[in-house]
Amino acid sequence: MSRKNITFCIAGLWLVLALGLIGYKQRILATGIKVLLETVPVDPRDFLRGDYVILRYKISSLSSIPGKSNFNRGDRVYVKLEPVGEYWEAVAMKAKNEIERGDVVIKGKIRRRGVVEYGIESYFVPEGKGREIEKNMAGRSKVAVEVIVDKHGNGIINKLFIDGRVVHL
Amino acid sequence: MIGGIIISLLMLVIAYAVLRTVVIAIFGGNRHGDWLRKQLPLWEGKEIINTEQSGMIRQFYHLDNGQQKKKTDAVKIILIIGAIFLGVGVIFLVASNWRKIPAHIRTINLLLITIAALFAGYYFSYEKEGHPLLGKSLLFLASIFWGSSIILICQIYNIPSSGNWMIMLLWALPVLPVAYFFNNKYVFLLASALLIAWNFLYNSSNSAANYYYPVLVFCLILPMAFKLGAWVNINILGLLAASFSCCFVEYHWQYSWLAIFISGGLLVYYLIKKEEKYFSAASLSFIAWQIVYFNAAAVKRANFYFLIPLIALFFFTYRDKLKKSLCINIFSAILWFHLMLYPYSEVFNDKYDGITTLVIQLFIGVILYLIGMLHSESKKHFAGLYKSIGFATVAGCVYLLSFKKMLIQNAGFEHGFFFIVCLALVIAAYLLLIWNLYKHPVRTKNFKMELICLAALFSGSLFILFFPALASVNTVIMNTIIFLLAVVSIFYGMAIRSSGVFNSGIVIFVLLIITRYVDVFWELTEKSWFFIIAGLFMLIGGAYLEKQRKKVIEKWGAE
Repeated sequence: MSRKNITFCIAGLWLVLALGLIGYKQRILATGIKVLLETVPVDPRDFLRGDYVILRYKISSLSSIPGKSNFNRGDRVYVKLEPVGEYWEAVAMKAKNEIERGDVVIKGKIRRRGVVEYGIESYFVPEGKGREIEKNMAGRSKVAVEVIVDKHGNGIINKLFIDGRVVHL
Repeated sequence: MIGGIIISLLMLVIAYAVLRTVVIAIFGGNRHGDWLRKQLPLWEGKEIINTEQSGMIRQFYHLDNGQQKKKTDAVKIILIIGAIFLGVGVIFLVASNWRKIPAHIRTINLLLITIAALFAGYYFSYEKEGHPLLGKSLLFLASIFWGSSIILICQIYNIPSSGNWMIMLLWALPVLPVAYFFNNKYVFLLASALLIAWNFLYNSSNSAANYYYPVLVFCLILPMAFKLGAWVNINILGLLAASFSCCFVEYHWQYSWLAIFISGGLLVYYLIKKEEKYFSAASLSFIAWQIVYFNAAAVKRANFYFLIPLIALFFFTYRDKLKKSLCINIFSAILWFHLMLYPYSEVFNDKYDGITTLVIQLFIGVILYLIGMLHSESKKHFAGLYKSIGFATVAGCVYLLSFKKMLIQNAGFEHGFFFIVCLALVIAAYLLLIWNLYKHPVRTKNFKMELICLAALFSGSLFILFFPALASVNTVIMNTIIFLLAVVSIFYGMAIRSSGVFNSGIVIFVLLIITRYVDVFWELTEKSWFFIIAGLFMLIGGAYLEKQRKKVIEKWGAE
């Protein structure tokens, strides 16, 4: 194969990978179910991707989830969510084969100190805005995150709310 | 924070590569060549050599290519630094998360720039003549842009820091074809560094051993490095880092298998390539396995399985005469011995504290020295190594045991399990000594000097073992032994004309004098006199020793 064709192949591979990643995430956003989760934020800095806000959810704490007896640290878990008032809350913790039809679940992993990580713990904001948002959150503001979950339990952050209003950055 | 570490790591690796090239370019990797280049016309002028011979020498040492290469290297550095600056600038631009431009426009733009850089790299490398270096730099830039694109996409979809390992992988693997098909060593270095970072991030994010990394390196990266003829060592270092990182993560058996897997892979590479670096790396990785096993077993189980690889490693070391690896494996065997003994402290309720370790280590040093003496003339290099390690071990242990405070701690040494271990070591050393006496029927002066030291060590250490409570007597014994070691080393060094042995004797002697001086006079209320006397003493003593040392070395030179 000539080097020209190889260049085309590499370019094609890169485009397919990038678009594949975008497509995968977009599909979740387009087809998933919207759930509103209550949060507690912190603000660090990730050199790779600029400022972001670390989000802790009520459902991040293992102690707040019923039915966790069989799971250990490092296990993949599916937390069943149900709307309780304004927010969605965890009602059960299941293994993959225990998920029933119609269940709204979010996939997570049990980490140290009884924390469940769902892959929705970071919200990236423009450089310097992290502190500003944190300041707003520091008061008695109610912070919530709209997460979209697909039928396999994959979640993506869609919107950040402070006191019921969407944060536009 | 992890992101910061990765960027720093990347920058360090790249900076090392660039700095290395800069140093070679500026100061010249071939200083002898420069010297020769200047000398040749002079030799021609004085008719020491003729023009034809001069030409042959130039050709043989590739002296005419030097200047051209230097210029090329300088251009290469400027272009690569330019590519790095541009790439890092784009990464920071992505990091600033500038939201005035919609996400999809930013993504499309960056992807288009990436593809454009890729094609420009190809064009200048192969289509347009005269710009191969620019082409290489653009291909490198395209590879950095590709990483920026992935970072941007992950940022848009808020993939958390715990997913950074995925970014590293998605960055590294797709740039490997660029390195391979376009023979681009810089891109290969970038991919290697990214994969090392991926391994660490994967471990920390998933709390699991990353077996994919060594598989990838053994099956893909190392063969690529051979094809490109570059960056083999950085990948071996990556494997070693992966192996040793297992010692510091949460102790689990799965990490133990990872370290041994890496060792095995490196050993296979050694058998294929027959280069000592693979064997040394495998030996080091086995050390990591020992430590991981020790931790994973919660310090409760001795690792007798390690004897199997240890015997195999010694077998290959001797078969293929691998001197560096022998050094590592001796260290490995010593470590194994201590780690094997440690769990028994609980079983026999006998403390394996620092002082016990030191006494045991002293006997190990004696045994190593005796093993060195047993080696025949054909294995002279190995003999020297055993003797050096044994001597250093013994000298270090005796020095530490020459402190009264240390020996007072030893006063409580009970005649328990570790006492029996010490006795077993003494018996082993004694048997080795008898073997040595049997093997060397002709008693040379040097052999007798070695015997004097060994006899002193045997009697002194046995006395410490049996009468640990006599701290003052033991202090005198240990100081006498170390003094004897110093004196014998000086005379032995003179006898065998080894400046190393001779100088080490002087070092021990000086160290002993300074230590005891500090011990005795530090308690003085007037510290100024302590320093004044010490300074004068050292200046005069140092001058005398220097004069004596020079005399001896000059004498050797004259003979």
